[in-house]
Amino acid sequence: MIADYLILSIVLFCIGLLGVISRRNVFTVFMSIELMLNAANLAFVAFARLHESMDGHVLAMMVMAVAAAEAALALAVVILLHKHKSKLDTNVFSLLKG
Amino acid sequence: MLAELLFTVFALLAVVGALGLVLSRHPMNGAINLVMTMISLAGLYALLSAKLIFALQLIVYAGAIMSLILFIIMFLNIKKEDLPDERSRWGYYLGGAVIIAPVGMLMAKAVRRLPGSEATIVGDGFGGVKEVGLVLFREWLLPFEFVSILLLVALVGAVVLAGKRRSAK
Repeated sequence: MIADYLILSIVLFCIGLLGVISRRNVFTVFMSIELMLNAANLAFVAFARLHESMDGHVLAMMVMAVAAAEAALALAVVILLHKHKSKLDTNVFSLLKG
Repeated sequence: MLAELLFTVFALLAVVGALGLVLSRHPMNGAINLVMTMISLAGLYALLSAKLIFALQLIVYAGAIMSLILFIIMFLNIKKEDLPDERSRWGYYLGGAVIIAPVGMLMAKAVRRLPGSEATIVGDGFGGVKEVGLVLFREWLLPFEFVSILLLVALVGAVVLAGKRRSAK
């Protein structure tokens, strides 16, 4: 029963990874990262249920806080980049290239 | 019996939403699909008797974070011609799937060997606000404080980044 939840978590994580490596739209890449965080959360909660301890729930809460911080910062960066280049293509955002 | 049925429904909805996010061209459609995934994940948390995480998933993830993302997508007013040219993405999907699928299958095989994964009955207070709060403030106090500092830093950083004026350059 718990194994089903963990397999679902693996499937969601793989779909999120596929989105990160195959898409070029900044928003889709960002939301795929959110999907991967969600999959990790599901694994945490499933393992907490398996071991009947609530540490996994606390870790899931921390992941949510990190995701919220990441969303705030990443969206601010996306707004700035869109203001600069008026594009949403990740290939255009290569400002760190030497 | 009902739990298995609910698990199947929620798992299917979650996978369909995730695929819709990755496959849809416009980020708005993707965001709506991701909201569906997050709501069905909240249902799965309820099935795992994680009551606090269920509520937090609905309020923080499906509520706050997704509405922030939707707000920014609408704020930038993305039209069809603003989207990057992704005509070659099907090849990337295929290549990525070829790379990722073996790893996923290996992990699934490892997970299936996990001992003691049958359904057990947990106590009444498992996953409630009081019990998780006790664990949080007794054993995870220092990480909790670090997370609060992280949120403060993110707040200041977002204000500094997004509030920059063009004339300041």
